[in-house]
Amino acid sequence: MPEIISTDYPLTRSQQVLLAALLDTLVPASDDGVMPSATDVGFDAYLLAQAEEFVPLLVSALQRFEPSFVDLPLTDRCERVREFSANDPALFQALLTRVYDCYYQNDRVRVQIGVATGAPFPQGNQVPPGDLSLLDPVIEHRARHVYRKP
Amino acid sequence: MAEDIVDVLIIGAGASGAAVSWSLADTRMRIVCFEQGDWTNPADYPSTASNWESQAYGPYHIDPNVRGRDTDYPINNDDSAVTVVNFNGVGGSTILYGAHFPRLHPSDFRVRTLDGVADDWPIDYDTLQPYFATNDRMMGVSGLAGDPMYPAKQPPLPPLPMGLVGETVARGFNKLGWHWWPSDSAIISQPYQGRDKCVNLGPCLSGCAQGGKSSTDITYWPEAIRRGVELRTRCRVREVTVNEHGFANGVVYYNAAGEECFQRAEVVVMACNGVGTPRILLNSKSTQFPDGLANGSGLVGKNLMFHPIAFVQGLFDERLDSHKGPQACCILSKQFYETDQSRGFVRGYNMQIARGAGPLGTAMGGFVSGTIPWGHGHHEAFRQRFDHVASIGIVCEDLPEERNTVTLDPTRVDSNGIPAPKITYRYSDNSLRMMEHGQARATEALQAAGARSVTSSGPMRMSGWHLLGTARAGNDPQRSVVNHWGRSHDVKNLFIVDGSVFVTGGGVNPASTIQAWALYVADTMKKNLANLFD
Repeated sequence: MPEIISTDYPLTRSQQVLLAALLDTLVPASDDGVMPSATDVGFDAYLLAQAEEFVPLLVSALQRFEPSFVDLPLTDRCERVREFSANDPALFQALLTRVYDCYYQNDRVRVQIGVATGAPFPQGNQVPPGDLSLLDPVIEHRARHVYRKP
Repeated sequence: MAEDIVDVLIIGAGASGAAVSWSLADTRMRIVCFEQGDWTNPADYPSTASNWESQAYGPYHIDPNVRGRDTDYPINNDDSAVTVVNFNGVGGSTILYGAHFPRLHPSDFRVRTLDGVADDWPIDYDTLQPYFATNDRMMGVSGLAGDPMYPAKQPPLPPLPMGLVGETVARGFNKLGWHWWPSDSAIISQPYQGRDKCVNLGPCLSGCAQGGKSSTDITYWPEAIRRGVELRTRCRVREVTVNEHGFANGVVYYNAAGEECFQRAEVVVMACNGVGTPRILLNSKSTQFPDGLANGSGLVGKNLMFHPIAFVQGLFDERLDSHKGPQACCILSKQFYETDQSRGFVRGYNMQIARGAGPLGTAMGGFVSGTIPWGHGHHEAFRQRFDHVASIGIVCEDLPEERNTVTLDPTRVDSNGIPAPKITYRYSDNSLRMMEHGQARATEALQAAGARSVTSSGPMRMSGWHLLGTARAGNDPQRSVVNHWGRSHDVKNLFIVDGSVFVTGGGVNPASTIQAWALYVADTMKKNLANLFD
């Protein structure tokens, strides 16, 4: 298998495999299968379309892990990620921000968490007006809420 | 060829520059406004894309040092407990503001008389009252008449929806017998003057693609331009120049090509906010004004006030849909706004109820606070927090202190070589005691509302929205920079209409009062045109 894969994708095959294991560790699928893993939400496409400038940092993050990371049991992978987080918190936070940014734009994820898919504009959101009769106690006791006159 | 002279040159096209331009258009004089930034295109705002949350941390970041557009200028916050946030462009910081739009209270204009601290303003609430009303109409303000904590006022539009967040916190306030009221908001709840109403997009703080939020690029400016005001973008002013008689006679500025230019003017109006205005004045040194223009009192750049801000967040079992609706506009409480010496501090604070973050903000906020882990527990922790949060912002009054300053940075410059502003700012003990009190009371309110847990953070560092006090108004030329109608004591054809003139800051978001002041100054200029410089 060639190390460099086709197309413009900026990661090598081995980096891709490592990335998949890392994504799966950071955001695994939920136990009931309702929420997908971060590997299932198109991080590759996200990287090319929205976060190309992040690729060098991503490569730097992946270099913190041995190739054997992909074969470790989940608890050991979590331990390795915790070590990375402790040693380079800024880089880890940048990575996590990108992973979450991609994850929570995914339509399947959004439907599950109750957020409209796509951009907020133009559809917007419905917000109930609220019960203004809740103001009755304030109005009833307006004498004690009066503003201070100079 | 005759020299190009404008009658009135206004520097800055934000909240105050737009208002003063519109009002002065009545005079039919030649009025030109210089803005260092560009027009923004609402179609480019983050809310038009699914990655709106991450975009808000890039080209629409509230911190100009992070945003880093070439239309921004750098700000040295190294020696400040608060970092300055703003936007440079037509509309100024109203492009990115939350549009929470309370007025200062009558007591805010008389703190010396009432509480023996700071100074009284040279005007009172009643002076500004008609201008508040005009501004509400021009901007399009939603709210509910009858708030007992204010003199009578009538917002032109009904209040924004409280939603589940507002109702929930209101019930908590009611249990405690505390004041609360729907916020006055510069966001239109119904179609208004050719604009469509707010559709509850959520991301107000990165620009409103809908146009429901009342930024001055879509309120005052179209009207002002229609009435003959000329607005020139990409004109960055370096200094105001003076003639041999000590009058301002124009400005040196850089155009879009970076060329140094000069514009003559009969009158100059500063509308660059509480950082930009002292920056230009201090950079306008001459033989006659060696310490900077209009600085005979030595107070230009001094008495900088922000509003110290804390956030208290309640987590509720029930879903509150808190990511929906205007982020910063919901309800407020003035229960602790006025002075009560038994609390251990003077003056007071506003409780501003805010809605919640989007998914990315929730996930990353949860990571930083340790409440939402990555890995196996992520989904359950996220589910429990996302849309289950209500927040109370504590907006504290900040009293003026001469040690808090805007000065010129000795080394840092903007892309045209103009010295950057340097901020020096420390919280006062009074502010910190006030904030501690506010955090405790907000915790109490959220618990009364049924919050399962409450967390508190503050003072917030990246919170310098409200830039006030650095060219204060007053009747005494030794103790103030401008007089009671915004005219410089030292330079009779130089006026200031932005938040620099605030004598004290009150405990509320200042945009409404800044614009009312700008309209009042413009109106006073119009009434005194025959003897403007006497």
